[in-house]
Amino acid sequence: MKIENTKAQMRKGVLEYCILSVLKDEDAYVAEILDTLKDAKLLVVEGTIYPLLTRLKNAGLLNYRWEESLSGPPRKYYGLTETGKLFLKELNTTWSELQNAVNLVTSQKTPK
Amino acid sequence: MNKTVNINLAGIFFHIDEDAYLKLQRYLESIKRSFTDSQGRSEIISDIEARIAELFSERVKHDKQVIGIKEVDEVIAIMGQPEDYLVDDDIFEDEPQSTSYKKSAPSKKLFRDTDNSYISGVSSGLGHYLGVDAVWMRLLWIVLTIASGGTFIVIYILFWILVPAAVTTAEKIMMTGEPVNISNIEKKIKDGFENVADNVSEAAKNVSKSVSGAAKKGSSSIKSSSKNFFDTIADIIMFFFKVIAKFIGILFIIIGASALIALIIAFISFNIVDIVHFPWMDFVDISNSGNTPPWLVSLFVFFGVGIPFFFLFYVGLKILINNLKSIGNIAKFTLLGLWLFSVIALVVIGIREASEHAINERSVQKNTLQIRANDTLRIKMAENDVYSSNLHRNDGFKIANNENGVKTIYRSDITILVKSTTDSIATISIEKSADGRNYEKAITRAKNINYNYIFNNNELVLDSYLSTATENKMSDQEVLVTLYLPINSVVYFDKSTEDFLSYYDDNLVSSKYANHYVKLTEDGVTCDDCTAEDFEIDIDTPNIQINEDGIQIQSDENNIKIDVNGVKAESEKVKVNINSDGVSVKSEE
Repeated sequence: MKIENTKAQMRKGVLEYCILSVLKDEDAYVAEILDTLKDAKLLVVEGTIYPLLTRLKNAGLLNYRWEESLSGPPRKYYGLTETGKLFLKELNTTWSELQNAVNLVTSQKTPK
Repeated sequence: MNKTVNINLAGIFFHIDEDAYLKLQRYLESIKRSFTDSQGRSEIISDIEARIAELFSERVKHDKQVIGIKEVDEVIAIMGQPEDYLVDDDIFEDEPQSTSYKKSAPSKKLFRDTDNSYISGVSSGLGHYLGVDAVWMRLLWIVLTIASGGTFIVIYILFWILVPAAVTTAEKIMMTGEPVNISNIEKKIKDGFENVADNVSEAAKNVSKSVSGAAKKGSSSIKSSSKNFFDTIADIIMFFFKVIAKFIGILFIIIGASALIALIIAFISFNIVDIVHFPWMDFVDISNSGNTPPWLVSLFVFFGVGIPFFFLFYVGLKILINNLKSIGNIAKFTLLGLWLFSVIALVVIGIREASEHAINERSVQKNTLQIRANDTLRIKMAENDVYSSNLHRNDGFKIANNENGVKTIYRSDITILVKSTTDSIATISIEKSADGRNYEKAITRAKNINYNYIFNNNELVLDSYLSTATENKMSDQEVLVTLYLPINSVVYFDKSTEDFLSYYDDNLVSSKYANHYVKLTEDGVTCDDCTAEDFEIDIDTPNIQINEDGIQIQSDENNIKIDVNGVKAESEKVKVNINSDGVSVKSEE
């Protein structure tokens, strides 16, 4: 059992949820998603996000459109699909339940 | 100063230093091999490339600016090392579910392990393949090489050429027999990421195939964890087929390899002795009346015989090792062509050789032998120091130095034929014959035969051999000595002539008269001192026996016996018996 694996496993589950959350209100291109995630220290390196985005897109949770950019290559703007929105809703519930549960468990475990 | 490269990254043009370019390329390719096609590799890669292009554009202030190692390093730091991309399920496969992977037995493949090589990695590759330490394989090679007189090096070189080197990570993992999956690749990448960078597109293909294959296998084996009974039977049958196939493969390799070694040794020794000069080389040279250079013939034989064996070896290796490198169509067709050419050349040489014997010509010389009517002619064969009679009279030949120390072909194909003549003087005819491609050549060779006799004091001493210069080659030289002897003359054939007297019917004096005095008559010959004993027939074969006891002829069911007791004849149905008791005939019907 490697700590890296456990950490990565934890983060990965959360990461997908977070990506979907970032796109909740408006479409964003990868750099914007990355900025949000990096600001929150959820991501250390950018590489991790690409396979995740592709997976979510292939799962039909995300779609994208191309937009020209002035400073660089054309940008892929990702947005939530209807399924994605439902998925996110589901995850929201799960997350708050999990949060409560984890809070409950971890606060109990702390020494008095 | 640095060389720069122009690249197009996600549709954006960049100047980049060559070393930076190589680093970036390595980076992208190692990421590429972390993904499979089913994961949408090409899309992920193009996204990553687009992001890198974006990051580069942020760093490029003006058009002329060149991207260097520093920028690439920065970008890699932002993007993360290849292992950071491995966020998929497969990263956890070395933990709980790993049992499902053990079921899909990892198939080991033979590669050359160039990372741990002394020469080419053949030994360490074989070591991985056979699960033996490479040291033992090296020892084995050395022992085999010494034992085979160095020719095993050829086999080693064949392995070197035919077995691919493990270049990519996937191949290196396959070589050790571990299943190819992300965690193993990751491990390998961590072990020596910098060393494995070339030929990556190939590797990525391999990895993706094996990973998706492994993934499929894993999931399906979970679905139907209890294997069908018939599947098991089929597996067992397949296993036996595989074992048999491998066995045949090993057999092919052994046959092919040993034949190749034998051929190489033969070829080398045959051509080296040309310089060293072994005595038997003369025989080859003399027999070769067509004058084709022996080394050429040996080369054709080498190719004509060796190439089929090489293919046998190759097929054997192919059966045994499924990832064998193809020798390529060009090599295959070259070898095929070379083989055809050699075979045709050998046929042509054969025909040429045969045509050397197409024409047989004779050169005859006749002489009279002065003998008086009452004299007895004594005939004997000359003893020869040079050419001792150890070579029995046959079609063979011998090469020896003559009295002048010149190499000469000696042959003992001498035939003595005796005929009667009504003339009062005896005549001797020496008929020399030889083969050749054409009339002139044959007659020249016939004339070049040296054959002598001495007639002195009523004694005729014939040479027991013929000789000819080596340049005349061995072309079936023969000498026929015909003696025309007047009727009523008496002739004595010495014991030494026994082997030379002709077997043919027209010969009046057959070998049984040797060592006797024979008188020529109108009808043939009479032998005064031949005793009856000399004519005793003694036959002893399983079916017929004629000896002093009597005559006995036997077949499966019939039997005739004549001896001192009488006559006894038995067949399946009739028995006749004549003995001291009288005559009895018995019939079954």
